[in-house]
Amino acid sequence: MKNILNNTIIAGCFVMLAAACGDKLDIKPGNSVNDEQALETSSDIEALMVGAYDVMGDEDLYGGNVLRDAELLGDDGELFWDGTYVAPGEVFNKSILTNNDQAEGHWIQSYEAINIANNVLANLDVVDEEKKDRLEGEAKFVRGMLYFELVRLYSKAWNDGDPASNMGVPLVLTPTSTINEESYVSRATVAQVYAQVLEDLQSAATLLPAENGFFATKGAARAILSRVYLAQGKYAEAAAAADNVISSGLYALNSSYAAAFNNTSNTPEDIFAMQVTTQDGSNNMNEFFAASVYGGRGDIYVEDAHLALYDSTDARLALFYEDPDVGGYRTGKWNDQFANVNMVRLAEMYLTRAEANFRAGTALGAPPIDDINTIRERAGITPLTTLTIDDILLERRRELAFEGQLIHDLKRTGRSVGALPFSSPKLVFPIPQREIDANPELANQQNEGYF
Amino acid sequence: MRIIFTGKLCFYRAILFSLLLAGWVALPDAHAQTRRITGEVTSEENGTSLPGVNVVLKGTTTGTITDADGAYSLQIPEAGGILEFTFIGLVTKEEEIGNQSVIDMTMAEDTRQLNEVVVVGYGTQIKRDLTGNISSVSGQEIQNVPVPTFEQALQGRAAGVFIESNNGKLGQGIKVRVRGSSSVTASNQPLYVVDGIPITSQSQSSDDSETNPLADINFNDVASVQVLKDAAAAAIYGSRASNGVVLITTKRGKSGKTSFNLNAYTGFSEPTNRTEWLSTAEYVELFTEAALNSGYDEEFIQTRFTRFGAGDPASWQNPGSANYVDTDWQDEVFQRGSVNQVDLSASGGTDKTRFYVSGSYSDQDGLIKTNHFSRYSARLNLDQDATDKLKFGINLNIARSVNDKVPDDNAFSTPGQIIALPPMTPPVDPSTGELSGNYTLYYNPLLNFKYSFNTASVLRTIGNAYANYQFTPGLTFRTEFGIDYLTQNEEQYFGKETARNTSAPNGLGFNGWVQVGNYTTNNFFQYAKNFAEIHDIEATLGMSYQESKRDESRVEGQQFPSNAYKQIISAADITLGSSTETMFSFLSYFARVNYKFNNRYLLSLSGRIDGSSRFGANNRYGFFPAASAGWVITEEPFMNFTETLSFLKLRASYGITGNAEIDNFAPLGLFTGEGGYAGIPGQRPSQISNPDLRWEQTSQIDVGVDFGFFNDRLNGELDFYLKKTKDLLLNVNVPATSGFTTQLQNVGKMENKGFELVLNSDNFVGNFEWSTSLNFARNLNKITDLQGQVIEGGFVNRAVEGEPIGVFFAPEYAGVDPDNGDALYYLNTQNTDGSLDRGTTNDVNLAQRVVIGDPNPDFIGGITNNFAYKGIELSVFFQGVFGNQIYNGGGKFQSANGDYFDNQTKKQMNRWQNPGDITDIPQARLYEGNGTAESSRYLSDGTYVRLKTVTLGYNFPASLVERLNLTKFRIYASGQNLLTFTDYEGWDPEVNTDYLAGNISQGNDFYSPPQARTITFGINLGF
Repeated sequence: MKNILNNTIIAGCFVMLAAACGDKLDIKPGNSVNDEQALETSSDIEALMVGAYDVMGDEDLYGGNVLRDAELLGDDGELFWDGTYVAPGEVFNKSILTNNDQAEGHWIQSYEAINIANNVLANLDVVDEEKKDRLEGEAKFVRGMLYFELVRLYSKAWNDGDPASNMGVPLVLTPTSTINEESYVSRATVAQVYAQVLEDLQSAATLLPAENGFFATKGAARAILSRVYLAQGKYAEAAAAADNVISSGLYALNSSYAAAFNNTSNTPEDIFAMQVTTQDGSNNMNEFFAASVYGGRGDIYVEDAHLALYDSTDARLALFYEDPDVGGYRTGKWNDQFANVNMVRLAEMYLTRAEANFRAGTALGAPPIDDINTIRERAGITPLTTLTIDDILLERRRELAFEGQLIHDLKRTGRSVGALPFSSPKLVFPIPQREIDANPELANQQNEGYF
Repeated sequence: MRIIFTGKLCFYRAILFSLLLAGWVALPDAHAQTRRITGEVTSEENGTSLPGVNVVLKGTTTGTITDADGAYSLQIPEAGGILEFTFIGLVTKEEEIGNQSVIDMTMAEDTRQLNEVVVVGYGTQIKRDLTGNISSVSGQEIQNVPVPTFEQALQGRAAGVFIESNNGKLGQGIKVRVRGSSSVTASNQPLYVVDGIPITSQSQSSDDSETNPLADINFNDVASVQVLKDAAAAAIYGSRASNGVVLITTKRGKSGKTSFNLNAYTGFSEPTNRTEWLSTAEYVELFTEAALNSGYDEEFIQTRFTRFGAGDPASWQNPGSANYVDTDWQDEVFQRGSVNQVDLSASGGTDKTRFYVSGSYSDQDGLIKTNHFSRYSARLNLDQDATDKLKFGINLNIARSVNDKVPDDNAFSTPGQIIALPPMTPPVDPSTGELSGNYTLYYNPLLNFKYSFNTASVLRTIGNAYANYQFTPGLTFRTEFGIDYLTQNEEQYFGKETARNTSAPNGLGFNGWVQVGNYTTNNFFQYAKNFAEIHDIEATLGMSYQESKRDESRVEGQQFPSNAYKQIISAADITLGSSTETMFSFLSYFARVNYKFNNRYLLSLSGRIDGSSRFGANNRYGFFPAASAGWVITEEPFMNFTETLSFLKLRASYGITGNAEIDNFAPLGLFTGEGGYAGIPGQRPSQISNPDLRWEQTSQIDVGVDFGFFNDRLNGELDFYLKKTKDLLLNVNVPATSGFTTQLQNVGKMENKGFELVLNSDNFVGNFEWSTSLNFARNLNKITDLQGQVIEGGFVNRAVEGEPIGVFFAPEYAGVDPDNGDALYYLNTQNTDGSLDRGTTNDVNLAQRVVIGDPNPDFIGGITNNFAYKGIELSVFFQGVFGNQIYNGGGKFQSANGDYFDNQTKKQMNRWQNPGDITDIPQARLYEGNGTAESSRYLSDGTYVRLKTVTLGYNFPASLVERLNLTKFRIYASGQNLLTFTDYEGWDPEVNTDYLAGNISQGNDFYSPPQARTITFGINLGF
């Protein structure tokens, strides 16, 4: 009898124990925050916006690899890729495979940052009133800049065929909180993407403050706008945007060319730069361009053909150095692994204003030759007395070499890359294979020359 | 904070509950009607007394163990019953008690294995009565195997259990697959349970060079390992049982005179294989040709040669000169390693208290310079019979292991990659006498040997306490509380000489601490009863709760004053610091009923309800049932006519198990604070939510037969199974345009089917003994549904519908165009009629990727032959893996017909040179990628058979042993991996490069160091 009673008690205890433990299956993560609690206050949205810059500074994006690949893809004998990474090697050889991990990395990181920007734009209602314009402007700046980057990497250039029918990239303008049918987006046209880019950047130029620390500013938005206009051949607008930046008076050329590089904080010449510290951010330009004495892999050599572009007294030539370990020349622009990655410098605005004015036959702000001579004087070479478009483009090449502009400048001006015409499908990145596999809407939308 | 508190609260309740129970049950039970029975148990062979024999009132848990003199005394109910005497290795005896008060018993040795006691989830069973499929490996079989972790020792010994080391580095990751892979995204490794407590088995390394927490176990303490393979055996572990469960049972003391055992061995190891690379002369020939073929002049290429030769043209030009260099880089990184182990154990006790105590020290120098593993461990297993009804005890294991690691296979600094360096490069710079620095083609891994270290030190405590109370002769309650505490410190320092690899000009230090606390309590009733002689019922009912918390902190610093300073306090610049925590919990209820009718018909039902913090709010609890039945045909009267067939049992089981090995917060939509930018705090989305996320579900059907012939001298098992997994936990690729790349979903199906055969045979008995045991298994894995997903991994691995997981998917290499030396690939595009276009192309982009191979073996097996004659023992164990392929991810650098400056395999000298040449090595071309694309060119057959272990031992004769006051005196010599039979041309066919190793990425080689061939000499003393 007692046994039965005992067993009943045991069983009773058992049930109690079980019931008491049920709630500890609810464990909250310690390192992360549940998405429902992440975007509640103004400072949450501000932090989110900072997150977009963090992603933009990823090594696959403006931490360097997008810039590196623009140089490798546009190169015709001025540099030499000597590294073992397969993906940049394919870019250098203009034989990119659809599973190229850089083609994948640029795409993924860009859309991750765009999704953050979309989240910011969708949650502006909780942002303090006085910060609203700035945050909206920053988000649109990031989104516009990245769509511009995507469309020029993964699509035919604006001047190559008909932008209204050429495929651009998928346009996603709302944040993703669940994966549903709307997450599967097909490619918009090149024209549609450019229209969005212009809308975002123009709006950003209006909303952003003139000064905003190292974050996006009016000047940064206009500087990127000037690139977009140049790509579209809208020279009057390009000249106006560049002039607007120059005449704002907020920026100045550094006294020496070398001073424009390897800086751990922005210089007066920097309109926008990705910030790198010893704890955070990446400088993959250093990784690939710098000699091992400067902490790089030294995968990219500068060839004589490039050095021959400079006059012997050019301060820009002096910045190249011979690798003390293995010989060969390196660019000196990326010798500090913890220095910022330059994105847009004021020098580019002079060059853009000069070219746009020249092509449009205008002299907004200054005659083209003055702008070119401004650049030449800083470099320590003699001013020009006459000017041709080739002079302008050569000056641009010298001034902006190995800063991630090459392929885009070649394409928009219709110049070929070696034997490949500017419109060669080999000069367009493939839509990443993983994206085509993951998104049936892209099934028949791979770029020409890839399958 | 709140959560931890609730967690603790629950534990307090569990402990309180246990204490209450213990206090309550300790009260004497005055009302039971009992009487005492005594007796002595002796050996039938020689009449000596037998200590440690289990004496149990049959069908109950009333029982005791004979003392040192073989005597026992047992309180039994007035009604009496049948007394059962069992002891491992002896034939079980039964005696009707009737009115007797003294029952003496003699017991005979049992050569049959069917009466073996097998550990099952939350209990034990006699092998004869099993209806599930369990592989048992005795501790004896894996003792003194000179490897760091016990899974390596298990390799080839358990049917249907595929075990593969990543590479030859010590104490690193081991792939274990029980009846194939069942998941694409969640873990495919089994659950490890030591003495009833699930333990931490995942790598805790901060980098891709894995650590293996199972290496903390001294497997000379292991009494047996059971691998629960089918659903009937495993479903009692519910949502974590799909990949099988490995139950490790440690040795326990027996009452009687204290016996001591001393084991010691020493030996050496070297790589199983070396490969052939170009000599300097061949290198110069091939690369000169490659450069000229690609339009470079001789000066260009010779400048390179001279640079690689430390600036001295004589290094490659003048074979006669003293400055000529022809380095075999393998000599620089491989070494003759050493293995040493000593352990001493004592076991014994009184009839009330029994103990097993051991201490062990193991020390291994790997076959790679600087790679070292050592382990100290101590164990105490104690059992106390407090009263006739209450027993309690503890198991406690403390271990410290120290692993001096080498970098993962993908690091330039990893020793394996040294073979990429050209042969004219001198290891030591002749001009400075220092290790060659920046003139090497790549970073020189030798610098890491000299100027860096990377040590993972672990302090591990695995312990549990239990109490077992018998309410009535048939009903007991057992409560267990276990802790597995792992503390790991990783210390790394890289001197300024390694700057080319670390990018840290003045030294880099790293220090990381990990603490994993695993707390488990099991509380369960066990009931056993025999009714009317012919009905045997055993039942188990209980609950279990596990909570695991992992905390980690890391700090990294740069800028050290000199290499004399290695701790981060001396770093002028702190470049990284972080702390993280994560947790999970499982709350489970389980039950099992076994029914046996007439010793002939067996039926078992089990079920588990598992709740886990890892699952979505909408699907928190899962139910995992299993049913199985057995029929012992030889017990049937109609089988009496046959003499040869001594045992025959048919078994069948069906059940459902789960897989929950996913990230702890997988269902949640998450934001991370890792979004700061230049010192300004930031956040960003990191994971997209899936509140419906649930466990993966595997249903498994198993049909088997156990048989014995000639009084079981030949016995075995044959099993067929079909495992179907649905609701795969799958990282589904989503369009990256969403801002996310994957979402964990329950999508897809996978199946595994196969068979396993186990045969044991005593070929000769008597003076000359010869026994053979064989296991052989086939598993066919197939992904049956991924909803069209294609998931890539490794170099060319993928998970795709209709194929086994991880198939190699790449263009098919078609050899060399005899006209021009171009590498060719089959187009393999589909013709309009659906057939494949077998035309070829030299543009790999035009070649359709196809399945070129499969990393999963078709068959695995092992065969052991043991011979004994007058104290001499010989054991010969072969292990084999058949029908898999290996993809060499390093092929595009190593066998690239001079595409880049990496030293090339000898075979590259067979390159195409002139029109009409027939070869499969394309024309040597520098920088042109002629044939270097990932393709079947770099795929090889991975089949191998290995003479895994040979042991020759000698037991000194009893007369001598007794004169020395010993009970055992054995010496032996043993060899591991003595011979490997394979067509694989790389270092070793047992390979799975560590930095990629995963569910999909399998069967890849990437400069992965080979396994060790080890010779040891050892001694076993008993006294």
